Amino acid sequence: MFTTVTMSLFEGFLGTLKLFSLTLLFSLPLGLIISFGSMSKTSIVRWPIRFIIWVVRGTPLMLQLLIIFYGPGIFFGTNLWGSGDRGRFTAALVAFVFNYACYFSEIFRGGIQSIPTGQYEAAAVLGLTKTQTFFRIVLVQVVKRIVPPISNEVITLVKDTSLARVIAFYEIIWEGERFIKSAGIIWPLFYTGVYYLIFSGLLTLLFGYIEKKLDYFK
Amino acid sequence: MSILEVNNLKKKFDNTEILKGISFDMEKGETLSILGSSGSGKTTLLRCLNFLETPDEGTITVNGNCLFDAKNGPLRDGDLRQKRLHFGMVFQQFNLFPQYTALENVILAPKLQSNGSNMDEIVKNGKSLLEKMGLADRMNNYPHQLSGGQQQRVAIARALALRPDILCFDEPTSALDPELTGEVLKVIRELATQHTTMIIVTHEIGFAKDVSDKIIFMDDGVIAEQGTPAQVISNPTNERTRQFLANYIG
Ligand SMILES: Nc1ncnc2c1ncn2[C@@H]1O[C@H](COP(=O)(O)OP(=O)(O)OP(=O)(O)O)[C@@H](O)[C@H]1O
Ligand SMILES: [Mg+2]
Repeated sequence: MFTTVTMSLFEGFLGTLKLFSLTLLFSLPLGLIISFGSMSKTSIVRWPIRFIIWVVRGTPLMLQLLIIFYGPGIFFGTNLWGSGDRGRFTAALVAFVFNYACYFSEIFRGGIQSIPTGQYEAAAVLGLTKTQTFFRIVLVQVVKRIVPPISNEVITLVKDTSLARVIAFYEIIWEGERFIKSAGIIWPLFYTGVYYLIFSGLLTLLFGYIEKKLDYFK
Repeated sequence: MSILEVNNLKKKFDNTEILKGISFDMEKGETLSILGSSGSGKTTLLRCLNFLETPDEGTITVNGNCLFDAKNGPLRDGDLRQKRLHFGMVFQQFNLFPQYTALENVILAPKLQSNGSNMDEIVKNGKSLLEKMGLADRMNNYPHQLSGGQQQRVAIARALALRPDILCFDEPTSALDPELTGEVLKVIRELATQHTTMIIVTHEIGFAKDVSDKIIFMDDGVIAEQGTPAQVISNPTNERTRQFLANYIG
């Protein structure tokens, strides 16, 4: 029984992993773009973007999932996401990417704005171009500063993927719960925690390694 | 011909005029020190010369070439980068790049400019500059592993590596513990004896008197007095200069 449960939980975990990795893949670059928007000198760009960030960060992700999944059908009468598992997955991914991109954008903004102007000025008087200044001077310093907060968000994301259950997205908790109905046992549900722990443990090690790699300067 | 001519330079911040028409010139190989009380516009003047600020009025001419004329509007990016290379800048807070070693800090800009050719030459020159600064055994240290005085000497080497016509210093020792100012002043003094053309904003009156060929005393955005150290420091004629010196020399 234990092996059967382990195997089928693993299948559920693959769903978790898929949502997790695709969310990261899209939300990190999107977050960088949003952060540039939120720092734009043009207020017509800056304020709408900051407003959206405020809304996304100020409401529960679970609510956003529901609105994104059911919203188009209820308000526009179209089933934007298509039917079945594919549709649920796409809707969940869109909600997660959007939500996490907003969080990441604030981390990027903080990181970029924390670089002292002296660094830009020193680069300028040495004749560096704006591109050289960004890639040779600013970028590594920003990365160093944002690794710890990014690491926090990423580990939160591991656990947040379980929220996608609310639109019946198939992942590990869903799989664990199935055993309550089918076999009348609850321990598989509790057992899912082990998967989360191992996965977030591995991520913690990975981020610790990156932090250490960047420890050569202050 | 003067190496630098500054004519009627004016700069406003939020409608307050900070530089109210600064004119002076200097010769190649001279050391010029700028004194003046806090807020008199010394930093602003250096920042205008390095085009970190755009002057509202006036001209800046180097070796007879007019680099900047406010009438022609602000400089464009590429132009700006070329022109500011006539000046080097040493900041009060050093502003070294923390992720690079001392040597990497010094050779970064020459390396980028040469697109990677002449690397041997650039590295050799960088090393010899750091040796001149007394940092032969510190080349591979990162800034956080260096004392303030050592960091500032790396910053001086970094500025010299681009062979600027005029090297500017903005209070190079005021961020340092008193026991570290000596080592920085010593290398600046050496540069002066080798006839490096320098503009030094400083509160070290004794030092300025020693090394300078010329002193400018600034007060409230204008040059109140200029001349040799003997004139401006030993026999000031301007009332404000006298007050200022009295405060410092006590
Ligand atoms: N970017 C700026 N925006 C607004 N005001 C500024 C700016 N930079 C300088 N000022 C003002 O200009 C005046 C002159 O400043 P500046 O830094 O040139 O003085 P300073 O002579 O270098 O003084 P200190 O000896 O304290 O360094 C100050 O009143 C300062 O507040
Ligand atoms: Mg100043």
